[in-house]
Amino acid sequence: MTSKGDAIYVYGIVPADVQVEDDAQGIGGAPVEVIREGDIAALVSPIKTDQALGKPADLEAHAELLDGTASVAPVLPLRFGAVMTDTKSVAQELLREHHDEFAEALNALEGQAEYVIKGRYDEKRFLSDLLDENDQARALRDDIRAKSEDATRNSRIALGELIANTVEVKRQADTQTVVDQLNDVARQVNVREPTHEWDAAHVALLAEVDREGDVQEVVDRLNEKGKGRIQLRLLGPLAPYDFVVASAPAS
Amino acid sequence: MTTAVQPAGGAAGGPSSSSLADVIDTILDKGLVLDAYVRVSLVGIEILTIDARVVIASVDTYLRFAEAVNRLDISQEDPKSGLTDIVGDVTESAAKGKGQGALEAAGEKLSDILTPKQPQRQKVNRVRSQRGDR
Repeated sequence: MTSKGDAIYVYGIVPADVQVEDDAQGIGGAPVEVIREGDIAALVSPIKTDQALGKPADLEAHAELLDGTASVAPVLPLRFGAVMTDTKSVAQELLREHHDEFAEALNALEGQAEYVIKGRYDEKRFLSDLLDENDQARALRDDIRAKSEDATRNSRIALGELIANTVEVKRQADTQTVVDQLNDVARQVNVREPTHEWDAAHVALLAEVDREGDVQEVVDRLNEKGKGRIQLRLLGPLAPYDFVVASAPAS
Repeated sequence: MTTAVQPAGGAAGGPSSSSLADVIDTILDKGLVLDAYVRVSLVGIEILTIDARVVIASVDTYLRFAEAVNRLDISQEDPKSGLTDIVGDVTESAAKGKGQGALEAAGEKLSDILTPKQPQRQKVNRVRSQRGDR
């Protein structure tokens, strides 16, 4: 048993042939270790249980280790904050107990990684397009302009609601366009919830790392087509966070 | 096959680097969670206002949107509101004595000063640490 206060932070599951470079750092700058069991292994690092977790640096360390791994090997990422008592429990309770299902999932992920496409509307452009296209929006704007601020509260709320609803409608359409365009390159697609009010699309996809160029091409093409209306970013390769949830049934 | 895992912070060479917000979108509510029997525990995570990530339209949002339209009008339809008059006056009176070209140029400079670029609207702070650091 390890001494009280020490525990093992678990980042994710990888094939047993994965090696970690000597200077790889985990949360809190701790050295990253590999615990192997059969064909699979866990990426771990020692951690003190009395220290609070969740500073930006902690989150980034977790993501960077797993995303760095994803570009070279299949990996099953654990959600941030997974801690086990000691290395023995990682080997026995985590790896041995779930050996076959993890090995199978890693096999299925070979050569693939997750990418995330985030699209954002240009606020000014969006609003001026809306005023051009929508009579009601123009009427509300004119009403707001003509009166004092107190007198226009209802109009302002109505205009804001109209904008919010329009964002919602356009977001659905633009997200669908992104998903459609990914048809050829994505093995799987997961449409994520928006995380910003001007989000135009938020889509995770599983693709072969070798085809990253094709994914980038889709993003570039959509950016060109959007003509400044939407700005899309491509993130990745990332560990397949969006696509592993179903692979470990509780039983 | 032997694969080397890159160290944290190593050059992963992705198309675009992830910001902290991107990381949070991903690692806090996605990824493998194992059952209780495996005794993998999610340790106490000190991040407040995770719910701020969820986009909820409210009256407050509506009013901000409407205000954005208002700013849009000012910047687009009256790019030099107020200024035209000033510059016009100056030009008129000064034109009697001096060359107009120089004054027009000065007017342009003035317009730069008087109508600065629209400030970026303050973004919602998506993660606030409990301790307020960062």
